[in-house]
Amino acid sequence: MKEIDDLTIPDLRFAQDHEWAKLEDGGVRVGISDYAQDQLGDVVYVELPQVGETFEQGAVFGAVESVKAVSELYMPVGGRILAVNEKLEKAPELVNADPYGDGWMIVVEPADLRQLDALMNSAQYLAVLKG
Amino acid sequence: MDAFDNRSLKWVCAQIASMDYAEALDLQRRLVSARIAGNLDRNAVLILEHSPVFTLGRRGGLENLKVPESFLKQSGIPVVQVERGGTITYHGPGQLVVYPIVRLRDLKMRVVDYVERLEEVMILTAADLGVQAERNALNRGVWVENRKLGSIGVAIRRGVSFHGLALNIDPSLAPFGWVHPCGLQGIRMTSVSKERDCPVSMTLAREVLTRRIEDVFGVQLVMTDLKSLP
Repeated sequence: MKEIDDLTIPDLRFAQDHEWAKLEDGGVRVGISDYAQDQLGDVVYVELPQVGETFEQGAVFGAVESVKAVSELYMPVGGRILAVNEKLEKAPELVNADPYGDGWMIVVEPADLRQLDALMNSAQYLAVLKG
Repeated sequence: MDAFDNRSLKWVCAQIASMDYAEALDLQRRLVSARIAGNLDRNAVLILEHSPVFTLGRRGGLENLKVPESFLKQSGIPVVQVERGGTITYHGPGQLVVYPIVRLRDLKMRVVDYVERLEEVMILTAADLGVQAERNALNRGVWVENRKLGSIGVAIRRGVSFHGLALNIDPSLAPFGWVHPCGLQGIRMTSVSKERDCPVSMTLAREVLTRRIEDVFGVQLVMTDLKSLP
């Protein structure tokens, strides 16, 4: 288990349930945090939505399975799915190896960018983790 | 048993003789919602046996059937799709099932640690009943050599874990033979009574299991009836 100070927390937006969100050209990229992947242990399966599906903020968009445990994934911002990381089908371990990079999960066309602004920044997220 | 030992911590526990799978699933989902919303202010544990049922995990598992689906239909044993981890498994009388509805954050435990604790509960319970079981790198759950004695599958919703463990005390092992349990080829299931080659009291097994949950999680289980749960 990583100590809090060993966790990587880049300058992104974070949701209560440990998803990160990053505004890019053309959409909001989403994945789970270093803390979340460390909590889960080795990821063996990632279930992602179809491109074109639309979800509200906080809705379940998929699930990640590790060591006989399935954890639900929640939309940090509402909107339409523009892309999903198809690499995760063959290589779910990318979620552990590179949670903020190659382990990304979806790109969302946000319905309302104010939802992104209302998420935690990295300092606030770190404070939550330190509890 | 470790630094987490704190018997002042109380979880509610319902001992249910037998419950239909679908009904138990409804109950679990209701308790999870209540735990998330705060209408259930303590973690809860359901201990029960199921009437015969096959369940499929999130990754499915029908490809792990060794008999035609029509054979299952004829057997009268229903197949239910659920959200837990893992693939196909069988539940039935003689198997003790534990569904802890717990907020993992409160336990200060990672998901992997929690799964290991569930395994520990099964290993200690089996030992008390005279069977030496252990973990196996092949797969989660607990094993006697290459024979699987107990299984694990959990789901986590908003930080609350549900589903749990199933430990074979004295069930019919025949239905396991109709599938590749947990999607593993060439493994056999076993039970405490098969390993000991003698019948085992379900009442005793349940008492031992209940005590071992208290030991492993360092909590006191406060018995309640279903009517008192949300």
